[in-house]
Amino acid sequence: MPVLPRQKRYALRACAAGLTALSLTLATACGEPPGEEGQTDGGESAGLAEDPQFVWAVTGADRAIHEDVARLWNENNPDQQVEVFFLAPTADEQRQAMFQDLQNQAGEFDVLGLDVIWTGEFADYGYIEPLEDLRGEVEGVSLEGAIDSAQWQQELYALPYSSNGAFLYYRTDLIDEPPTTWEELYETGMEAAEEEGISAYVGQGDQYEGFVVNYLEMFWSADGELFDQAQEQSTFLEGDAATTALDFMTEAYESGFYADGFDSMVEDDARALFQAGEAVYMRNWPYAIPLLEGEEGEESAVAGNFAVAPLPTFTGEGTTSALGGLNNAVSSLSGNKELAREFVLWAATDPEAQGILAEHSLPPTMLSIYDEVDDPDFEMLGEILTEAHARPPVPGYNSLSLAIQDNLHPAFRGQEEAGPALDAVNKAADNALTQE
Amino acid sequence: MAKTQKVRVRQGLGERAMGRIFLAPSFAFMAVIALFPVFYAIGRSLYDIRGFHQEFTGLDNYLRVLSDSGFFNAVWNTLVFTVASVSLEFVIGMVFALIMHQAFVGRGVTRAVILIPWVIPTAVAAQVWRYMFDRNPGFVNSVLGTDINWLRDPTWSMVGVISADVWKTAPFVALLLLAGLQTIPRDYYEAAKVDGAGALQRFWTITLPLLRPAIVVALLFRTVDALRMFDFAYIFTGYSNSLATLSVYAQRYLIRDPDLGYANALSTVTFVIVMIVGLAFISRLGRHMVGDVAGKEK
Repeated sequence: MPVLPRQKRYALRACAAGLTALSLTLATACGEPPGEEGQTDGGESAGLAEDPQFVWAVTGADRAIHEDVARLWNENNPDQQVEVFFLAPTADEQRQAMFQDLQNQAGEFDVLGLDVIWTGEFADYGYIEPLEDLRGEVEGVSLEGAIDSAQWQQELYALPYSSNGAFLYYRTDLIDEPPTTWEELYETGMEAAEEEGISAYVGQGDQYEGFVVNYLEMFWSADGELFDQAQEQSTFLEGDAATTALDFMTEAYESGFYADGFDSMVEDDARALFQAGEAVYMRNWPYAIPLLEGEEGEESAVAGNFAVAPLPTFTGEGTTSALGGLNNAVSSLSGNKELAREFVLWAATDPEAQGILAEHSLPPTMLSIYDEVDDPDFEMLGEILTEAHARPPVPGYNSLSLAIQDNLHPAFRGQEEAGPALDAVNKAADNALTQE
Repeated sequence: MAKTQKVRVRQGLGERAMGRIFLAPSFAFMAVIALFPVFYAIGRSLYDIRGFHQEFTGLDNYLRVLSDSGFFNAVWNTLVFTVASVSLEFVIGMVFALIMHQAFVGRGVTRAVILIPWVIPTAVAAQVWRYMFDRNPGFVNSVLGTDINWLRDPTWSMVGVISADVWKTAPFVALLLLAGLQTIPRDYYEAAKVDGAGALQRFWTITLPLLRPAIVVALLFRTVDALRMFDFAYIFTGYSNSLATLSVYAQRYLIRDPDLGYANALSTVTFVIVMIVGLAFISRLGRHMVGDVAGKEK
């Protein structure tokens, strides 16, 4: 654990570390896996500033990009330099590290790079500062979905930074035109798969957040909404979107539309199958494109034989993708809130900073960047993202996500009845708004 | 004068007192690293903790445990896993131990080979098994000629986890039992042979009774370990209800869906369950063991 130059907090930090060690011991005594807690140890400072005035805690994935952004800030603000603290690359561990920093009152982090689904939780816990007064600065400048994901109870608690959306990958040697409806996708996929002796569709079907995203994309594309406008009650069962989406998945699972092992498949399993030429369609994030093209020494059976399109819908109009990415928030324990706010705003709205993301093919949230880049896939991503849905960042999002996994995963595999499973999710959605 | 001297002498020779003094540092050390966290966790389990807001709620978290179907599901999964895996590990471990105990060419190599699974870190072994059970590329299915959804079918995933755990830990049981076997004097077997006892009879009347201490230790270790099992279940199916054990369920509220008060209540309940089973083992089987030793000494 690197010691940041903050003498005063060092004592507190030491206490926190001691407590962490203790809770680890207990966890071991009670049968928890050692090392699951206290993963701050996995993090490290980037060492970008000599006399940092504040610290930005952000995911260790895409390290080079965040470093470049921080360097740019430091060049522009030599007296108010930022230090980057890289957290673990996996979402649960990042959140755990930030929780620990906050709950133990250590307060080493000033700016928190939050996954788009954490806003409500952090806001409700009192971990982050409201940024409602900065709304005018990002409205119309950042992606609408990204702004949605940064607010809780109609108040902004974070500002958009990076984004992510889904593509439908398809085989150009097997499919002439990408489908616009799920039904069309099903039929063309089945036909081509049968002719070729391969699978029709791969995606994220394991029981984890990826399954939730895949389900919600179908749900939204059938015009479903999880909550009413004011986020006061669940509208999960209003209309028939929930049933339509689940029925499609159940049917697709039964009839072998999904590849074998879809129900334990994560992003890279799907990518590997598609790359080996074993599937007609794939739902995945943009990261797969260079790999499928056979760049960076990858072997690819589909190089030159695939293209990307927006995901279809049930109505045949528009597209729906779940929105990924990060928002930056100001820690309520920060000793330098003004500066932290400035940085958060700058990272959201500075064309140069956002341009760095685009250069590295990490989707930025600033709309104007998408007009400048000369890459058809990237332009398409821009269009997809303007129509993308934010998963509602309510405080109980984690419980809701787990409820969707617990209930709809067995249901789509035909092991549980659809009706009670959907009711259970509806109940969990209501509970997610209040969390007791 | 004389009086004080007497006392001094007694103090100086007080073996028990000295023993206590020498033990005090290690006891204090144990108290800090083992007892304090336990009581700290029990204390935390009485609160409803949501970020910076926390509220004393007494036994509410425990009442919630008692009405939580997810918890009982986890208890059931844990019990099924424990009973099945420990019995299989015991039987297979015993067979391994008996084989390794025989004198034959290549015995050293056999012992080393049998122990390989146990040396592999559990998380790594779990990842490898997960990959083998996965339908893509479907290694286990093609070996067995089946088409089973090993990772997601509730029954088969339990079978998968149990077999992976047996593969992993039977060697450990074998090692413990082998150590026990080596303490049994050969004379007993020779005497029994002279008296005309068959192989099976020798096993029942000599090996098993004399192996009892080793068996108790092996079963105790394995049972307590199995009750806390986390790695295989978590890596195979994440938080899925079909395989969630008590540890996985507590971890869910500790990390994935943080509710620290409730997580601590779950951890405490898990701790108590493991503790009760452990104590039951020691008092039931262990007492006989101690009794035997005492009897012999007389």
